[in-house]
Amino acid sequence: MPEIELEEEEYTSQLTAPVMKRILGLLRPHWRWVTGFFTAIAITSALDGLFTYLNKMIIDEGISAHDPARMLHLAAIYGGFIVLQAGMVFSFVYLAGVLGERVQYDLRKMMFERLQDLSLSYYSQMSVGRLMARVTSDSGRVANLMTWGLLDTTWAITNIATSVIFMMVINWRLALIVFAIIPVLVVIAVRFRKRILVEFRRSRRVNSKITGAYNENISGVRVVKALGREDENLNEFRTLTGEMYEASYRAAWLSALFLPVVQIVSAVALGAIVWYGGIQSQAGLLTIGGIHAFVSYLTFMLWPIRDIARVYAEMQHAIASAERIFKLLDTTPEVHDRPDAVPAGTLLGEIEFDHVDFYYEDRKPVLTDFSLKVKPGETIALVGPTGGGKSTIVNLLCRFYEPKKGVVRINGRDYTEYTLKSIHSRLGIVLQTPHLFSGTIRENIRYGRLEATDEEIEAAAKLAGAHDFITTLPKSYEENVGEGGNLLSTGQKQLISLARAVLAKPELFIMDEATSSVDTLTEALIQRGMGHLMAGRTSFVVAHRLSTIRRADRILVIEDGRIAEMGSHAELLRQRGHYYRLYTQQFRQELEQQYGSGALASAAAD
Amino acid sequence: MTQPTTFDFRRAISDNRLRGLWRMMSDYRLPYLGAALALAISALSKTLTYLLLRYFADTLTGDATPIGGDMSRSLALIALGFVGLALFEGGFSFISGRWAAYTAEGITRRLRDFLFDHIQRLSFSYHGSTPTGDLIERVTSDVDALRRFFNEQAIGVGRIVLIFVINFIALLRLNAKLAWVSVIVIPFMLFVSLWFFGKVIKRYEKYQEQEAVLSTTLQENLSGVRVVKAFARQPYERDKFERENWGKFERGRELLKMHSLFWPLSDIVLGAQMLGGFIFAAMMAINGEITVGTYLAYVGLVAWLIWPIRNLGRLIVQTSTGLVSYSRLMEIVKQAREPLTDGKVHPAGPVRGEIVFEDVSFAYDDVKSDGTPVLKHVSFRCEPGQAIALLGSTGSGKTSLVNLLPRFYEYTGGRLTLDGRDLRDYPRAYLRRQIGIVEQEPFLFSRSLRENITYGVGRDVSQAEIEKAARAAAVHDVIMSFPDGYDTLVGEKGVTLSGGQKQRVAIARTLLKNPRILILDDSTSSVDTETEAEIRAALHALMQNRTTFIIAHRIQSVMAADLILVLDKGEVVQMGTHKALLAEGGMYRQIYDIQTRIDEALEQEIASAA
Repeated sequence: MPEIELEEEEYTSQLTAPVMKRILGLLRPHWRWVTGFFTAIAITSALDGLFTYLNKMIIDEGISAHDPARMLHLAAIYGGFIVLQAGMVFSFVYLAGVLGERVQYDLRKMMFERLQDLSLSYYSQMSVGRLMARVTSDSGRVANLMTWGLLDTTWAITNIATSVIFMMVINWRLALIVFAIIPVLVVIAVRFRKRILVEFRRSRRVNSKITGAYNENISGVRVVKALGREDENLNEFRTLTGEMYEASYRAAWLSALFLPVVQIVSAVALGAIVWYGGIQSQAGLLTIGGIHAFVSYLTFMLWPIRDIARVYAEMQHAIASAERIFKLLDTTPEVHDRPDAVPAGTLLGEIEFDHVDFYYEDRKPVLTDFSLKVKPGETIALVGPTGGGKSTIVNLLCRFYEPKKGVVRINGRDYTEYTLKSIHSRLGIVLQTPHLFSGTIRENIRYGRLEATDEEIEAAAKLAGAHDFITTLPKSYEENVGEGGNLLSTGQKQLISLARAVLAKPELFIMDEATSSVDTLTEALIQRGMGHLMAGRTSFVVAHRLSTIRRADRILVIEDGRIAEMGSHAELLRQRGHYYRLYTQQFRQELEQQYGSGALASAAAD
Repeated sequence: MTQPTTFDFRRAISDNRLRGLWRMMSDYRLPYLGAALALAISALSKTLTYLLLRYFADTLTGDATPIGGDMSRSLALIALGFVGLALFEGGFSFISGRWAAYTAEGITRRLRDFLFDHIQRLSFSYHGSTPTGDLIERVTSDVDALRRFFNEQAIGVGRIVLIFVINFIALLRLNAKLAWVSVIVIPFMLFVSLWFFGKVIKRYEKYQEQEAVLSTTLQENLSGVRVVKAFARQPYERDKFERENWGKFERGRELLKMHSLFWPLSDIVLGAQMLGGFIFAAMMAINGEITVGTYLAYVGLVAWLIWPIRNLGRLIVQTSTGLVSYSRLMEIVKQAREPLTDGKVHPAGPVRGEIVFEDVSFAYDDVKSDGTPVLKHVSFRCEPGQAIALLGSTGSGKTSLVNLLPRFYEYTGGRLTLDGRDLRDYPRAYLRRQIGIVEQEPFLFSRSLRENITYGVGRDVSQAEIEKAARAAAVHDVIMSFPDGYDTLVGEKGVTLSGGQKQRVAIARTLLKNPRILILDDSTSSVDTETEAEIRAALHALMQNRTTFIIAHRIQSVMAADLILVLDKGEVVQMGTHKALLAEGGMYRQIYDIQTRIDEALEQEIASAA
């Protein structure tokens, strides 16, 4: 599924200097390469100027003077410089290219490492798509700016400088005519750039809308057809493509206009050179080769000026990208180790939530004054409506987030005094939507404990109830799970993530039960696996299944960020309150589904 | 120019891809050829600039006589000539660019429109078997590749060829011998350039592959951030990412190695060709075979002739991507559309809703199902306004049965009539206007709630009417609880609705649509008790005075139906009212008994706990 292009916020802060400085700072470790390609591009460009001058000499000193020997001599020098230039071209293409790849590599690496440290609060604000764009396209843009952008700039500057020097050497009066048009050209270039950029941005915006419209209409095609809305949809879509056409057509013809305008302006200078140069040559002040050289230098200077518009536009784009990258790199993880953090000895102690308040970024209270004490080895089931705060409790327990007020204690000590690693490495988590990584089943289970042997992996799979289904697969443990595990069913993914948690030998087990139903057999396996995992450890389960709920030592009904009811299954049923309602409903549904499908199947078999 | 904005791209289907692309250009061929012509005039003007330079130099050296014998007047005229030629060159280059853009953007626009419409009119079976991602990829990237084909590549190839031809003719006219000497390496260079860019494309694909691997690694890491953190696997993830990241760097370097060899080597070859020409021409000038002016013109023309050649290879190789994109898009275009308005009858009013199934069978026609029928000999009769309940487990054929009614799929055997006429006599569009569908978890669009409610109603609806429908669907209060009320956006940029809320929005939508026939998917799974009651009430309101088909797998939701069909493996195993079926025994009775058993079991459970 291709990422739908996201509209990116463009940071258009006026202070580009600090950003530029920081961008250039990225080049520091590779200064040898940078110097190398700068030198190479400067020499290449200077040689271009020299070629024109050599041509002038061939005309004046060879042809006009009827001196074949001199001509051949000059041609030989010319040939030598061609070879030298080829060498330089090799150097800068290679160096700039490799440098670009390298800077991209560096940026991606820096961002990835920062992302590993950032807290979940950051991830909840940023969609995966956006983060991906930072790491992939933004880094590419910045690297481009620092290599091809710098290269173009260096080339342009050397190009203009060499041209200016040679023109001054040949005839300074004529040179002044040429210089007069440079500011005009620059003004034209900047004006055009602005207008083209506006259209370009507009077309990019519309383009992402078009992709969005396609996406929605295709995924919702069933509804579209059922409601017979084809014509209206097409009309709406036509508005978008019409807008797209306007913007991109304008951008295209403005670009097509730009170069001719520059050429025509410079043709005025060319006319002046021809006319004035002609007169001068009549007076013997200028040679034919000299005039020809001027004409060449003039066209020569047009290229960089023509490119200014493009390079400048790309530069702005890249600076915006760099700002976004730096913003990511500068984000400090909300949850981090204190300087004096100590490793937590064990998590198998008393766990206490002491008057904990919590809210997410939107500041809407999720937990208020939440208190709970859990004995080592206890199994806690959290039940209650969606949005009540069950997942938040789990998030706080894992220290993915920290309380806004109050304290979470493990073994009587505020858990923020422990290192994160020591807490996380003792957790075993099974998520509601199990997440697997591309690779084999074995690799995915091993994720729980990297140094585990194959035997241990299989033992863990057996305990989790995953072994049987794995061995029925053609390649058994070496079977590929596909991207995100999508070659397996949800139930199978759950079994594997259970095995992964078993292998980790956690001290604290946390499970967010899946709401979606899996077939009865898999469900039974999952239940058995959970049983093994919970034995002898403290467990928290966001529970949806009766068997899980019944297994718990204590059940917490969480509503509106508070404990609405707490107690054992029997106690709570007797109260005939929230739990009673939830339970009876769930009971009815589960049995209905079980019996229902079973009865239908058996009836059909008769 | 009035722009042609519609085109039936089915006319551009061709086995010869170039012919297909040519057909795609229909209505745009004239401007496109105009663009090519303008390009030629522009290139010719430039060539003339060099010839004027020749005249200018010859005037100065005395090889040519000044106009009217007056040197300074002649110089002024020549200077004006340069400006004039530049105007021509620039002006026509602009016209060419503008017309090429007009063509490319115009074709792209109508291609986008066509594809959008075409895709939404393709059959259910096509959509069922084609992944969304693949379709999106084609309608975005491949369309863009075609745009570039018309705007940059085809015109770029034309440009280089035109420039070559015009300049070569000019050279031939200057001096034939010189002209032939100047193009010795061109065929070789063209060949090498084609070969090189062919290779580069392959390496580039590898580079892209690695990029995809890197993206997947990154994406899995980001979306699995909880797992990574929970197992404290950051170092492991870093290593994994490092490996792929470095891999991309390495492949990028491989690619660069090729580029950094090709460009300087071609520099040397073309440079040598140029220099050889210079020497040859200079010798001729020294020997008086040509004038200095001719030499100057030669130097200019030959440079302009030679250097673009190495880019020709790149453009030609790139056009091949345009051809591939053409094929990929035509695979979609080739698919047959669902005819929406074809039918033997076109009733003006609504249907009554009398539906008769006589021995109806149905099998999907895709490869996977290999003709196994999913519905076998289904016969029943439904009077207008009746409620028909379909009971059965997953895969029993309930959904397939109701999918026949709006002609999402066509039944393959027996006879299905609506108001006494064969269903296939009615146009699909008409049927779908008459039928409302409320799915269990309906698809909502990322638009405002108002737009979602009025989606597909097909007429202007007042706010009062919308609110009335929303109230009846028990969703008004939910909507008003959002800060933006009915203007609240649904989806990623707005609110996320629960399954029950979505269903009620769909109910409101269906109320506004006011269809005669209703299809309800009532296989409610896990919703809280309150919501279920609300949905039930809303559904009840919706069912009034409509022929209704209810898909269910619970007795509770089918008891009130006028007719209950118990389906199993595509067959109706039992049929009748609740009462009759209970008396009859069999599967229905079994399911019913289980319900009672559940209640007993629950009582027991509570009693034992208490």
